[in-house]
Amino acid sequence: MNKIRLILYDIWEVLSTEVRRVFRDSTVLLIFFIAPLLYPLVFCMMYEYENVEHLPVAVVDEARCRESKRFIHKMEATPELTVAYRCCTMAEAERLMQTGDIRAIFLFPKDFSQRIAERRTAHIGVFSDMSSFYYYKAALLGSNAVLIDEMHTIELERYGDAGVTGEDAQSQMMPIASEERTLFNPSGGYGSFFLPALMVLVLHQTLFLGICLLCGDARENRRSLQIIPARLRVRSIHRVTLGRALCYILIYVPLCILDLWLIPRWFHLPQLGNLYNILIFILPFLLAVIFFGMTVGNLFVRQKITPMLCFVFFSLALFFLTGMVWPQDSMPKFWLWFSYIFPSTPGVQGFVKLSSMGAELSEVSREYLTLWIQAGVYFATATISLILIKKFKIFNLQ
Amino acid sequence: MKRYPIFRVFRREVGLLIASPRYLLLLTAGVLLVFVLFATMTSEGQPLRLPVGVVDLDGSYLSRRICHELDATPGVRVERVYQNHLEARRDMQRGKIFAFYEIPKGTYNEVLQFKSPRFVLYNNSAYLLAGTLCYKQLATMGMLATGAVQREVLRKKGFSEEEIMGLIQPVAFETHNIRNPWINYGIYLMTTLIPAVIAFVALMHTGYTIARERKRGLRSWMKKAGGNGLYALLGKMLPYTLWYSLLALTANLVMFGLMRFPMEGNWGLMVLSTILLVWAAQCVGAFIASCLTDAPLTMSVCALYSAMSFSLSGFSFPIDSMPGFFQSFSWLYPIRHYFLNYSHIAIYGGGLHESWPQFCALLAFSILTVAGGAMLQWQLKVDNRRRSEKRGKEVAV
Repeated sequence: MNKIRLILYDIWEVLSTEVRRVFRDSTVLLIFFIAPLLYPLVFCMMYEYENVEHLPVAVVDEARCRESKRFIHKMEATPELTVAYRCCTMAEAERLMQTGDIRAIFLFPKDFSQRIAERRTAHIGVFSDMSSFYYYKAALLGSNAVLIDEMHTIELERYGDAGVTGEDAQSQMMPIASEERTLFNPSGGYGSFFLPALMVLVLHQTLFLGICLLCGDARENRRSLQIIPARLRVRSIHRVTLGRALCYILIYVPLCILDLWLIPRWFHLPQLGNLYNILIFILPFLLAVIFFGMTVGNLFVRQKITPMLCFVFFSLALFFLTGMVWPQDSMPKFWLWFSYIFPSTPGVQGFVKLSSMGAELSEVSREYLTLWIQAGVYFATATISLILIKKFKIFNLQ
Repeated sequence: MKRYPIFRVFRREVGLLIASPRYLLLLTAGVLLVFVLFATMTSEGQPLRLPVGVVDLDGSYLSRRICHELDATPGVRVERVYQNHLEARRDMQRGKIFAFYEIPKGTYNEVLQFKSPRFVLYNNSAYLLAGTLCYKQLATMGMLATGAVQREVLRKKGFSEEEIMGLIQPVAFETHNIRNPWINYGIYLMTTLIPAVIAFVALMHTGYTIARERKRGLRSWMKKAGGNGLYALLGKMLPYTLWYSLLALTANLVMFGLMRFPMEGNWGLMVLSTILLVWAAQCVGAFIASCLTDAPLTMSVCALYSAMSFSLSGFSFPIDSMPGFFQSFSWLYPIRHYFLNYSHIAIYGGGLHESWPQFCALLAFSILTVAGGAMLQWQLKVDNRRRSEKRGKEVAV
């Protein structure tokens, strides 16, 4: 009984010291409290419009026939496209494309009407700006809708001419009907795809950086031994790791509720999961990040300002390593293994499945288990690095 | 040369770098790692053989043929054929498949009876790229299957091949994807992201080196510059400008040369644009570091600013579709101007005629360095006055 009380007392002492250190340091406060508030809000506002609407395009109508005019009218009616210019020549349209006034060109060649009259396949040239995939996507999405509609109109006419009418024509035109249902992000929007992953990454990066900063601060002021109570023996040094972790958990659980639950709710991001599952899932994530941060901080960080110099730019690579863009399945094996060094990979994957895709905890068991394994491994490394500091007094001397 | 204060500061900075090259090497290695990561990950251009599923409730000759044909397309592979909807949906939630076709019971019979059975295509766009690609492949496959049935029927009715094509597909698109006909994801990602990472690192490193100088006290540094803040900043920034420009240019050379990414326009303009990008990013770093006196705060502000640079370059989601505030805000990011330059020059082969506003904007970032220099000089003056006041008091005592 006495021993348990002693353990709890040690943890309490480390915890209270750590809380004081966090709240005294303005930079750490900025990283722990302002950044996880600011980024989700700013990015949610940035991607408020999920898709490209009214993409300016130019048409070069060399055919000038009934069909081409109808096609252009229908294009004008789609939410994706706006026919900003009607050009006489291709050269004129190309110039507009170069200056960025338009993002796609639709060319109706001279033989367009003739081919339609001859009941052959008529072609429309589409030239799209590939500098951003969203221009390409919007141009294709809008024009495809018109194309399918127009195809049906012409097809029906032709079947009529061939003597097939009414329901017969319908069923011959469409021997197999096809229906499309886009799940989890119905509009195919960028925000609904990017923001859930971003939320987890922001939590990952700020927590990791803050811990590294605190380690650097201790090292810089040669206080490494001060954060380890002097009476603790080597065997009970894990209490320091636990005490500090508890401090960060207390700070980050409310932030998690805010970033992973409330803000997505306010901005109407896809949210099919429930808070309870998310919190259960996020606990090992936080632990893994904390112990990972402590390991890196204890071993490598010597100055308070270097973590930001060396780690922040890597956020971008972390995002790509999560497999949200390039699926994990198609990733080279080496990078797949490499990505599992970071808690962000299972964290993002699991959170997106839980929250955006409404999976149950049992369906993210692989990610959940990975996070617990990471937490365990990094707990060991964080404690070992502290033992090294205490026992050999290495690392803490510049 | 020794007479020039900029050169004196430059030499001092190079000396410091040689004495402790740890961070320069570390950051260069980081940039290299990111480059290799993107180059190897996107080497296929698009993710290939994405897993999809088929819920085959029909179990007929037709449905099995559709499965086989789906598996034979290069973009996707049929991970599993499911017996019911629930299993397929659960696998989708687990992230095992990105899309699936549901073929209802009695499809084949209905086709034979001209009854138009209904296929349902489900796709997961929580994974945007994978979901969209799978959708495209599956939708095309569905169209082809429809076309095949149509063709069979029409052929038996005695129509000629050309008439059949005209009936099945009266209008078609001929797509020309300018400078990226293969829709290669690597080209689209790396051309902007790699320079963005280098600019990011250059900004942080400039901020760091000035913040570190502050810890030692500004005096020895400013003394080398003859008390001129602008000279002090310029001399300090130049070694990094040289190094990171060299890195960025090498990266561009590898991308547009070795990896044969399309490059239409003038190489000289692209080189100039790259150097100016690094320079402009450094100017922002120098300005932040000159204004703020607390070193960790300087680094945090630099990081807070830079973390948004990837999004605000506008290569992923277009800036023109963001709210108005962000459209203006993106002008404060050098990478935005670089991206516009890249699209004008490398994609459309344009010249200065189109891209001069971007070059002017990148150059305009230099004003920040001038302002930063003035700030430093003022801080030094205040510092000196305080010191002399203190000394005066001591003398008085």
